[in-house]
Amino acid sequence: MPVQITTDLKQNINHFETLFSDCADIKKRKIKIGRKLEQECYIAYIEVALSSVDWKDSAVGKLLQTLRELPEEELVSYVKGNVEDISDSQPFGTIEDAAQGMLTGDALFFLDGYDKALKIPDKGYPGRGVYETESEKVIRGSNEGFSESVKLNTALIRKRLRSPHVKVRESFAGRRTNTNVDLVYMKDLIHPGILEEVEKRLKEFEIDGALDSGIIEQLTEKRKYSPFPQFQTTQRPDRAALAILEGRIVLLSDNSPVALIFPATYNTFIQTSDDYYSRWEIASFTRMLRYLASFLAMTFPGLYLAMTNFHTQILPTDLLLSLAAARQGVPFPAVVEIILMEMAFELLREAGVRLPGANGNTIGIVGGLIIGQAAVDANIVSPIVVIVVALTALCSFAVPNEEFATAFRILKFFFIVLCGYLGFFGFLVGILGVLIHLSHLESFGIPYLAPFVGADLNGYRDERDTFLRLPLNFLKKRPVYTRAGARTRLRVKGQREENQKNKKEK
Amino acid sequence: MFADNWKISLRQVRRLLMLDIFGLSSLLLPGLLSSLTGGDGIFCLILGMAGGSLMLWLMQKNLQNAEGTYYDYMKDTVGQTIGDIFMIFYFLYFVTLCGFVLYQATLLVMTCLLPEGSYFWISVLLLLLAAYGTIRGIEGRARVYEIIFWFLGIPLLIMLFLALREVHTDYWTPVAASGVEMVVQKGIDVWIFLLPLAAVLFLKPFCRESEKLTLCGEGALIAVTLMNSLIYLILLGVFGKNTLGALKRPVITLMGMINLPGGFFTRQEVIMTAVWFFALFALMHTGVFQSTLILKELFHEPKNYYSMGISLFFAFFLGMAFFKNTVLLEVYESCQRWIVLPGMMGILLILLLAHRIRNGRREKKGGEETCGKSR
Repeated sequence: MPVQITTDLKQNINHFETLFSDCADIKKRKIKIGRKLEQECYIAYIEVALSSVDWKDSAVGKLLQTLRELPEEELVSYVKGNVEDISDSQPFGTIEDAAQGMLTGDALFFLDGYDKALKIPDKGYPGRGVYETESEKVIRGSNEGFSESVKLNTALIRKRLRSPHVKVRESFAGRRTNTNVDLVYMKDLIHPGILEEVEKRLKEFEIDGALDSGIIEQLTEKRKYSPFPQFQTTQRPDRAALAILEGRIVLLSDNSPVALIFPATYNTFIQTSDDYYSRWEIASFTRMLRYLASFLAMTFPGLYLAMTNFHTQILPTDLLLSLAAARQGVPFPAVVEIILMEMAFELLREAGVRLPGANGNTIGIVGGLIIGQAAVDANIVSPIVVIVVALTALCSFAVPNEEFATAFRILKFFFIVLCGYLGFFGFLVGILGVLIHLSHLESFGIPYLAPFVGADLNGYRDERDTFLRLPLNFLKKRPVYTRAGARTRLRVKGQREENQKNKKEK
Repeated sequence: MFADNWKISLRQVRRLLMLDIFGLSSLLLPGLLSSLTGGDGIFCLILGMAGGSLMLWLMQKNLQNAEGTYYDYMKDTVGQTIGDIFMIFYFLYFVTLCGFVLYQATLLVMTCLLPEGSYFWISVLLLLLAAYGTIRGIEGRARVYEIIFWFLGIPLLIMLFLALREVHTDYWTPVAASGVEMVVQKGIDVWIFLLPLAAVLFLKPFCRESEKLTLCGEGALIAVTLMNSLIYLILLGVFGKNTLGALKRPVITLMGMINLPGGFFTRQEVIMTAVWFFALFALMHTGVFQSTLILKELFHEPKNYYSMGISLFFAFFLGMAFFKNTVLLEVYESCQRWIVLPGMMGILLILLLAHRIRNGRREKKGGEETCGKSR
């Protein structure tokens, strides 16, 4: 049962201090206010969340200063009349709500004779501020990245989309963490069904702690056993803003610099922000490269095995002879050789990620050059396998989304085993299996393979932004995620009049 | 939501049907036609297309009359018992087709891709994949073939274009030398290869614009006939009548003979086998899907697990039987010619006539009632 805040300050303090007993990080102070300093008030805050240096300049400091200049009998009416309405302050009726309010990083103010507790904002929890993104680098475009503060992140999106149609719906996840989760979307563009669906899914689970958006992602995904992510992730506010403009929804979670975007499709995972900032020729070329990379990241080692172990007739004799010569003296079968090398590479990658920046780079160089060369010299692996593994790794790095690339990294082993034992037939079976799986996969009702499938839903217009990114003036309509009737994205001024004029002339 | 509504688009239907009828026909027909008809094979293909068009026309007439599913229409028109018998006929057609295609696909794998593979395990693997594809309904199935359509189509067209260099046009002659009877006989064979178009009858509840279904079928039929004619002429021009007749899968042999510019790949028949592997798989998948659907409707099963299990078992059993006893292939061929084709056309005609008679009676009855009232 929630405990109501009463006009009796001592009682309120008792309840509050019982709730926060043994919490050394929470500072609680009784302060005398009023002109004669005869009335008591009580302030509670988290140690680092309130400016300690400029106490007098903080909102709480200024409030106390004002209250010290007022006669005692006017204090309650002043607080009720003036302080309740100042920006960001919020009155709470129960101790529990007040406690939650304080835990968001603000100060709490209790006053004798006043039956509410006021939340007074200050600098809040410490955070990183806006930093450059470490992943999803672009050649052209903003380099601002999301930080761990959900409020800062929503502001970064709002900064890019200055429209009253941008809505932010706030909810909380995690029974013990009470993590702030914001859904950001453009009201007139989204399909209301998708918003309802995500809100339903968010209510479907109750977890003790949601410390990162990744936890929310996993709990709200429909197909839990799929290696392919059903939410797109980004650390870039401009990518999130672009998605909102396409009628998609962005989920921001406090303490996480990674935003979730949905619905997501294979095509959206391959797209990058600078696809739209650069000229269409280069955007199309790099996008085709990324599609090819996503395919090869999964299949290249398998294809190598199928060709060299089963269907040598495909390759020209010279190439075949040089491959055979390179493998001379290697004691393992090609499958084992590939698996060994791939595992070594994955180990290096894992070690590189966990080690601090400079050490990580060193591990990359040591692993790539020294271990690779030593393994070849010791005849443990053939040079061609090193090339195959390195190319596969390059391909997986070229996929712009880390979670999406991980799916291909995992499936790569599935293909190695299939092709290692069944040759090209194994490759075909694998491709068919992955295709069937992908064709069953959906993200909030949108087929994962859209717009390559079901493109008729938007008059086949979405296909203009797939392998090729056609010039921007061809992309006049928003994709299928946008609600019907709100799909016009680009209108060239004067074109309509010109068309009408031409018609009349005809 | 857009997906998960068990509805597919016309483009998906068209591509599905094209893959269904292209795979087996392009793989086996050239060999069947050339030895007896030579250059006249092209007329057989056209005749077969005419037969397919006739079937589609009858299907269209029946689907126009049908308000619900095809099964409901059959029950309404000829009664529950005969409707059930017709459904069993369709089930047997699709399940035997699945078994036959499974046998052909497995043989293709064993010949071109995995000579030392086990028939048992390859067919089990293919059936498991088909089951995985069927379990989530028609949407997923349609999407797979919609997406691979051009991935298969473009390399095939390029290879055929490159093969044009090897064609000796004098091998196409003589023309009109095989006799009408032979052309008709082989034309019927071609028609039999087009019978999977019957799947259109059962697609009505799954298609967004169901009134255009048969039009889609017609488009697929024309496109496949054009492709088959092109392939046939190229094969005839490259191999000649007698050699072509002796080859089991001439189109695969042709793929191995084409020299790609640059010479990086020397024999690409392994890679090109993918086209027929996927096309045969699509047809096999259609067989599993349709037979499962028919059983599901017959047994009023809420989920399709038992129906699919039975269909898969039958298909596997038949495929295995074809492999163990090749005489059964001749029996299958005769059944197709003397039972399936006439049966398929007969059912469509019976339904059409029964519907007309029933409508005529209703109109007459309605007219008498109106007259009685006016009197």
